[in-house]
Amino acid sequence: MTEMMAWSIFLLPLFAFIFISLVIRPFLNGYDRVSGYVAIVAVAIGFVLSIQSVLEVWNNHGKIVWPSHSWITVGSLELSVGILMDPLTAIMLVVVSGVSLMVLIYSQGYMHGDPGYSRYFAYISLFTASMIGLVLAGNIIQIYFFWELVGLCSYLLIGFWFHKPSAIAAAKKAFLVTRLGDFGFLLAILYLFANGGEIFAANASEFTGAGMSGSVFDISSVNFAAKSGFFAGSIATLVALGIFAGAVGKSAQFPLHVWLPDAMEGPTPVSALIHAATMVVAGIFLVARFFPLFEVSSTAMSFVAITGGVTALFAASMGLVMYDIKRVLAYSTVSQLGFMMLALGIGAYGPAIFHLFTHAFFKALLFLGSGSVNHATGTFDMRYMGGLKKHMPWTYYTFLIGSLSIAGIFPLAGFWSKDEIIAASLHHPDAIQIVVAIMALVAAFMTAFYMFRALFMTFHGEFRGGIAAEPDSGADSHDVHLEESPAVMVLPMVILAIPAIVAGFLFNPVIDGGIGSIPQYWFSKMLNMVDHVYVKGHPIDFFAASISSIIAVSGIGLAYLIYIRKSVNTSTIIDGEFSYMTGPVYKLIFRKYFFDELYEGKITIALFYNGVARLIDWCDRNIVDRIGNVIGFFGRNSGKVVTTLETGQVQIYGVGMSVGIVSILIVFVVWG
Amino acid sequence: MSLIHFQILSAAMFSIGLYGVLARRNALLVLLSIEIMLNAVNINLVAFSSYAESAQEVGQIIAIFIITVAAAEVGLAMAIILRLFRDRSSVDLDDIDLMKW
Amino acid sequence: MDFHDIKLLSPEISMGALGIIIILLDMITNRKGVLATVSVVGLAVPLSLSLYLCGLVDSDSEGKLSGVYGTVLIDQFSLFFKFFILGTLALVILSSTDYLSKLGRLRGEYHALLIFSAAGMMLLPAVTDLISIYIAIELTALPLAALIAIRRDSHSTEAGIKFLLLSAMSSAVLLYGMALIYGFTGSTEIEVIIERIAYLSTGSGPFGERVILLAVVLIVAGIGFKISVAPFQMWVPDVYEGAPTPITSYLSVASKAAGFAIMLRIFYMAFGDIRIDWASLFAILSAVSMTVGNLAAVIQTNIKRMLAYSTVAHAGFLLMGLAAVGTQADLFETPMGPGSVLFYLVAYAVTNLAAFFVIIAVVNSTRSNMIRNFAGMGQRAPVLAIILSISMISLLGIPPTVGFMGKLYIFSAAINSGLTWLVICGVLNSVVSAYYYLRVIRTMYMLEPESDTSIQIGIPPRMAIGIVGIGILVLGIIPSTVMNAAEKAVIVFF
Repeated sequence: MTEMMAWSIFLLPLFAFIFISLVIRPFLNGYDRVSGYVAIVAVAIGFVLSIQSVLEVWNNHGKIVWPSHSWITVGSLELSVGILMDPLTAIMLVVVSGVSLMVLIYSQGYMHGDPGYSRYFAYISLFTASMIGLVLAGNIIQIYFFWELVGLCSYLLIGFWFHKPSAIAAAKKAFLVTRLGDFGFLLAILYLFANGGEIFAANASEFTGAGMSGSVFDISSVNFAAKSGFFAGSIATLVALGIFAGAVGKSAQFPLHVWLPDAMEGPTPVSALIHAATMVVAGIFLVARFFPLFEVSSTAMSFVAITGGVTALFAASMGLVMYDIKRVLAYSTVSQLGFMMLALGIGAYGPAIFHLFTHAFFKALLFLGSGSVNHATGTFDMRYMGGLKKHMPWTYYTFLIGSLSIAGIFPLAGFWSKDEIIAASLHHPDAIQIVVAIMALVAAFMTAFYMFRALFMTFHGEFRGGIAAEPDSGADSHDVHLEESPAVMVLPMVILAIPAIVAGFLFNPVIDGGIGSIPQYWFSKMLNMVDHVYVKGHPIDFFAASISSIIAVSGIGLAYLIYIRKSVNTSTIIDGEFSYMTGPVYKLIFRKYFFDELYEGKITIALFYNGVARLIDWCDRNIVDRIGNVIGFFGRNSGKVVTTLETGQVQIYGVGMSVGIVSILIVFVVWG
Repeated sequence: MSLIHFQILSAAMFSIGLYGVLARRNALLVLLSIEIMLNAVNINLVAFSSYAESAQEVGQIIAIFIITVAAAEVGLAMAIILRLFRDRSSVDLDDIDLMKW
Repeated sequence: MDFHDIKLLSPEISMGALGIIIILLDMITNRKGVLATVSVVGLAVPLSLSLYLCGLVDSDSEGKLSGVYGTVLIDQFSLFFKFFILGTLALVILSSTDYLSKLGRLRGEYHALLIFSAAGMMLLPAVTDLISIYIAIELTALPLAALIAIRRDSHSTEAGIKFLLLSAMSSAVLLYGMALIYGFTGSTEIEVIIERIAYLSTGSGPFGERVILLAVVLIVAGIGFKISVAPFQMWVPDVYEGAPTPITSYLSVASKAAGFAIMLRIFYMAFGDIRIDWASLFAILSAVSMTVGNLAAVIQTNIKRMLAYSTVAHAGFLLMGLAAVGTQADLFETPMGPGSVLFYLVAYAVTNLAAFFVIIAVVNSTRSNMIRNFAGMGQRAPVLAIILSISMISLLGIPPTVGFMGKLYIFSAAINSGLTWLVICGVLNSVVSAYYYLRVIRTMYMLEPESDTSIQIGIPPRMAIGIVGIGILVLGIIPSTVMNAAEKAVIVFF
C-alpha cells in the first residue's frame, strides 16, 4: 500500500464533489443521476482501499509510517500535512467509507426526483471526503481543519431543505452548539502550541530516537510525549479537557446533546450517515486519537467517564417517550455515544472503538429502515404507523435485526460490543466505575425497551393511517402508498444487516482461528499494536454477559407486554391513579428535561438576553457607543479629513506629493 | 564655473518648474513647466558628466533619452488635452474635477 | 548588441512584435474576437521564450545572465515578474472582451497598448541601469495613460490627463534623484553604485551623506507614485474611477507589481548597505498608507473608488514587507521580507483581479459603479456574488483565502524584523477594513435587488473569473508552491 493509495481514499470523494459541483450541476443538469454514480464509484474504490489498509496495518503490525510533507513554512512556524495510518485510522476508514457507500446507494432511491439531487450528492461526497480527511490526519491543524469542514457539511446537510424553516433553525442550532465545543478544542490547540514548544524542544533527542518529528502539532509526537511523561503538571489535563470539549459538542454529549435530535430535519440518509454512524463518532475518535494524553490525567478520565455515563442514561430515558421514530433513534444515538465515551473514560479503549464499529452498522441500518418506513407512510410519527410488517417484510426483518443488535441480544454484533463495555466497567471496580456501571446497566435496559417499543408501534398491530391521519398535515391518502421500498433502498439495508449480525465475531473472544481463521481477540490485538494503550481483551465474562442478556431480554419483554399484549395501558401510566407520581416524571422526560426551554428560556433569554445582553447593551450604549461615536466620528470624519484634499483638482495632488517629499526630508534631517 | 554653479542653476530651474506645475491653471502651461523640470535634470546630468572623472558620456546619453521620452510624453498629453478641450471647451485644470473625494 | 543580448530581451521584443501585429491586424479585419484571441494566443510566444530563459538561468552556475552592456540582468527575480505580468495580462484581456463592445473601433489600439505597457513592466524588474529603469518606467506609463483615456468620455479623459501630468511630474522627481545618484557615485549601473554608496555612507546620520538622503527620498517619491503609496497616492481614486474598469484592474495589479519589483531591485541591490535606514522610512510610509487608505475607503459609495483606496491600504501592507529587512544580526540572511512582498503581490493580484472582473461583468449590465447597485446580486448572479464575496474576504485576510496567507507571511516577516508596532497597526487596520469589505457582501445578500434580470457574461470573462476565483482558494490552501517560488526569486539579493 503506497501513500498515494491512502491519499486517494480521501481525494476520490473530494474529486467527486468537485466534479459534481463544477461539471454536472452547471452543464449536465438533465443528467443529474450521473452525480450519484460518480459519488458511488469514488466511495466504492475508497472502501476497497480502506479494507486494504486494514489488512496492511495488520500485516505490518500496526506500523505504516509515511513522513509528513511540508505545507507552509513561515519563519519559525512550520506546518505540515501527513497521514497517520494506524489501526484506529484503518478501522475508522472502513466504517466511514462503508456506511457512506451504503447511504449513497440508498439515497438514489430516497432522493429520487428531488430538485436538489446533484447538490445532495455533492454535499455527501464533500462530507465523506472531509470525514476521511479527519480520520487520516497526521497532525492537529489538519484534524482541526477537517473537524470544522465536517461541521460545515453537517450544517449544509441539516439545512438541505432550506425552504423548511425548521430545517434552517435546526442547522443553525447544530452549528452554534457544536461551535461551543469547538471553541474548547481551539483553545486546547493554542494552549498546546504556547506551552508545548519548550517541552518538545527540551526532549528533541528522544523524539528523534523514537523516529518522531517532534513537532507540537504532530499527533504521534504528542501521544509519545504523553506516554513518556513529558507533560508535567496540569498541561495534559487542560489540553485533554479542551479536546474533550470539542468531542462533547460533536458527539452530542450531555449537556451539548440538544442539537442532535433537531438535526433529524435533514434527509433521512443524511441522518443515517452523519448523525448516527460517522460525524457524531468524530468526538469519540478524537478522544481515542489522543488517548495517551487522557490517560496521563486521571481527572480528565473521570470526567470523560461520568459525562459518558450521564449521557447514556439521560438520553435513553428521553428515547422512552418520543413518538417520532427518528427522534427515538436520535436519542438512542446520543445514548450509545455515551456508552462509548464511558468506555473510554474507564480506560476500555478497545471496547469503545469496537462499539463504535458495530454501532455504525446497526444504527445506519435502523435509520435507513426509518427512512424506508417514511417512504411508504409519509410520516415519522409512530402513532400513525403500525402493521407495516406485512407490507414491508424486508424493512421489518432488517429493522428487527438492527433492534436486536442494539438491544444486545446474543449472538448479534451489539451483544459483543456492549457486553465488552459492561464487562470492563465491572472488572476493576472503584467508586467511579461502580457508578458508571450502574448507569450503563440501566441505560441498556432502557435501550432494549425503547427500541422494541418503536419496533412494535411501527410494524405490529393495525395500520393507523400514515401521514393522511396526521392532523394539520394537509395530506390525503394519495401520499400513503403501503408497499416495500425500491430495491436500491432495500439492498443497502440487507447489506448492512450482515455486519449488524456478524461484526461481533471480529472481537472473537471465543475461538482462536475459528470462523474464517480470524485470530482470537483480533480487534483488540490490532488496536493494541501501536499505542499500547490499556486495551481490555479478556476471556468472555459470563457473569457480565448473563447480566446484560437478562437486562436486554427483560427490556424487550416489558415492551412486548405494554405494546403487544396491552397488559399495561400506557395511558394509565400517565393519567391513571398514580398520575400524581408518574405524570410529572413523564412530562419531565417528554419535554426532554426542559433542556430546550432551559437553553432557550433560561440561558438564552434570562441569562443571555436579560443578563449578558443587558450588560452588553449597557456597555454598548455607554462604552462602545461612546467609543463607537468617537471611532465613527473618527472613522467617518477622518475619512472625510483624509479625503479633504481629494478635491479633484490635479495640482492639489501635486502639492500633496511635494509636501510629502519635504516632510519626509524634514523628519529624517531633524529626527534622524 | 564650478560644478556647484550648475547645481544651483539646475535646482533653481527644477523649483521654478515645480512651481509652474503647481501654480499655473492652464494645462498647456503645466505641461511646459514639466518640461522645465526635465530640462533642469538634463542640465544636472550634463554638468555631472562633464565634471565626472569616469564615464563621461553617460550623463549626456541620459539627457538625450530624457529629451526623446519627453517628446513622446508631450505628444500624448497634447492629444488628451485636445480631447479635453473638445469635451468642455476649456483646458483650465480647475474645471476638470468631475471625480473627487 | 549581439545574439546573446537579443536572446535576453527576446520576451520583450516578441511582445513588441505582437503589439505591432495586433495593430496591423486591426486594419485588415473587423471581426469581433479576433484581436483578443490573437493577443492571448500570441502571449504564448513571450511565455515560451521566458520559459527558455528560465532553463538558461537554471543551468547557469551563478543563476543569472547579464547582457546589453550590463544593463539587463535575467535572474529568478526578473523571471518571476515576467510570468506574473504575462499571467495578469492574459487574464485582463480575457476579462475585457465584453467591455470592448463599448469601445468601437479602438479595439486594436486597446490590445496593442496593453501589450506595449506589459512589455515595459516585464523589462522593469530585469534592468539594472538607471537609464534603462527610466525608459522601462516610461514604456509602462505612457501606454497606460493612453489606455486610461481611451474611452474618450469626460471621466476617462479627465482620468487620463490627471494620470499623465502627475506621472510626468513624478518622473521628473525620480530623474532628479537619479541624477544626484549619478553625480555622487559617477555611475548609473546599480552594481557600481552599491560599492560607491558603501564608501560614501560612512558619514553620520541616516543614509550617511545628506545628498544620498535627498536622492533616496526623491527616488522613493518617484516610484511611490507608481505603487500608490501615501503621500503619493492622491491620484489613485480619481484615475481608478475614471479609467475603463479592465484598465483599473491592470493598473492596480500589474503596474503596482512592476513598481514594487523595481523598488526591491534598487533598494536591495544599490542601497543594500544602508537598508536599516530606508527600512524605517518604509515602515513610516507603510503605516501612513494603510491608515489613510482604510479610513478613506470607509466613506466611499463607488465601488471602484473604494477599491482604489483599498489598493492604497494594500500598498501599505506591501511596504511592510519592504521594511522587514531583518534585524541587525541576520541582516543578510533572511529572504522573508522581500519573499513576503512577492507572495503578497501574487495574493493581491489574484484577489483584486477577481473583484474587478466581477465588477466589470456586473457594471456591464447595471451601468453603475455604485455599491448600492450591487444589492441582491446574491439572487441575480449567485456565482459572481460568491466570487466577489470570496475576494472581499481575501482582501480582508480571513482563511482559507490567499489573502490570509499573504498577511500571515508579511506579518511574520515584520515580527521577525522587530516591527511589532507596525504589525499591530496592520491588524488594527485590517479590523477597520472589515467595515467596508463586509459591507459589499452585506449589500449583495441582505438587500433587495432592484431588478431580477440576471447578469449576462461571455465565455472569456467567465474563464478569467473562474481562474482567479479558484486561485484565491487554491492558493489559500496550498500556498507553498508560490511561496517557494517567491523565496527562490529573492534569493538573488542575498
